[in-house]
Amino acid sequence: MSVAIALHRVSAGYKSPVLDDINLEVGNEVVAVVGRSGSGKTTLLRLIAGLLEPTAGTVDLLGVAPAVARRRKRIGFVAQDARLHPWRTVRENVTLPLEVNRTARTNGHIGPDEWVARMGLSDAIDAYPHQLSGGMRQRVALARSLVIDPEVLLMDEPLASLDELTREDLRDELLRLWEGRARSVIYVTHDIEEAVLLADRVVVIGGTRPGRVRGEVRITLARPRTKALRREPRFHDLVEEVRGHLQ
Amino acid sequence: MTARRTLVDLAVALVAIAGIAVILEVWARAFRVPSYLLPAPSAVVARMATDAGLLAREGGITLGEAAAGFVLGTGVALGLATVMAWSRPLERTLFPLAILVKLTPIVALAPLFTLWFGFGTAPKVAIAALITFFPMLVNSFVGLRSADLQEVAFLQTLGASGGEIFRHLRVPSALPYLFSGARISLNLALIGAVIGEWTGADRGLGRVIFVANANLDLTILFGAVLVLAAIGIAANALVGAAERRVLHWHPIAIAT
Repeated sequence: MSVAIALHRVSAGYKSPVLDDINLEVGNEVVAVVGRSGSGKTTLLRLIAGLLEPTAGTVDLLGVAPAVARRRKRIGFVAQDARLHPWRTVRENVTLPLEVNRTARTNGHIGPDEWVARMGLSDAIDAYPHQLSGGMRQRVALARSLVIDPEVLLMDEPLASLDELTREDLRDELLRLWEGRARSVIYVTHDIEEAVLLADRVVVIGGTRPGRVRGEVRITLARPRTKALRREPRFHDLVEEVRGHLQ
Repeated sequence: MTARRTLVDLAVALVAIAGIAVILEVWARAFRVPSYLLPAPSAVVARMATDAGLLAREGGITLGEAAAGFVLGTGVALGLATVMAWSRPLERTLFPLAILVKLTPIVALAPLFTLWFGFGTAPKVAIAALITFFPMLVNSFVGLRSADLQEVAFLQTLGASGGEIFRHLRVPSALPYLFSGARISLNLALIGAVIGEWTGADRGLGRVIFVANANLDLTILFGAVLVLAAIGIAANALVGAAERRVLHWHPIAIAT
């Protein structure tokens, strides 16, 4: 398994340190990062996306520095409660990543309209973001981050602001996506069950500040996974194991 | 839809003005107020009809000066706001200068401008531009800085350049601010042009008001003020229509 994301003894912070001595390697797999609010989960994503420079250690993305990977357009990013560009329609929002940084090569053989269709938004393709529900907006956010077919997908609590039923639908959507193309995904969440359901590996960060890696749980549940898994004892054992690292 | 909105806006404004006129008319007649203190609205309207040509001509001159000043002041403000949004050091250098310009009273500058630029159109345009400048600068600067940080981060992860982020995100984010700046500045530009004419001119509504004031000719004075108000209301309605068209995606446009 080739390593797509590698963090080596990374520390980072703003005025005070937020993360300390983080080691993490991610291949073609889904790694969920869980931790309490303020444990440095978002800071970790900003580091990997190259939006924040580490104060110590190195971050490696596809063998280069994050800033270089960014310029090559290899990173997909989905934020919590994406506001999108309110003056653009759904289609125009999904096309936006293709309009910027045009010199970079994109693998996207699946066009914007097709991504919109896959997210079940074909009927709303000419709608503006203010006409969409929160769940639909997150689907657009997902489609626009996938349209460049990125090798690395960074997701910052993408379902946190949605209601429970919409979250379940979108979790299924994500599971289907993972089955498709192999990607390196870092999925930040504070929802332990969500992490276990979606990920191949769950990394727990936290503790007193600065946060460190508190533990790691390999999720050995077979794919394809469905929400029926949540009723199985094995699922609960894994959830309890992750919870143990959090306490 | 938009055109109808504009007409409704205008109708509401006219009804309000008519209401006030009726009250004044009753007042003037009931208490026999002398016309050099408060002319009856009917007398003002009659005078406006008589001197319609004069009011239209002078109003056109004032409108032209105000419009030129507005365009000039807005242009300079947009340029500076862009530079200031780009670089913190430049922001720190330019903003105090802008405040200095803002704090200098226009009435102090107006005679000076006449001295510098003569009695023609130039000093009036300069004053209108000056008075337009500050609200447009502040609004466009705040607007350019108001871009959603998550969206900035999203574009950055795609390797978008600063120019691309500016064009695709910062400029559209600034539009609502620009429109509210324009609403403030348009009326200010009109006032600026009138002040300019007041301090030395042979043309324009400001001149009409100045002369009428000296002669206690209140019907034409009120007539000129009404024409000025009509220009202001029309300009505002125009900006409102443009705003609803351009910002159809914005909560303000959606709510109205």
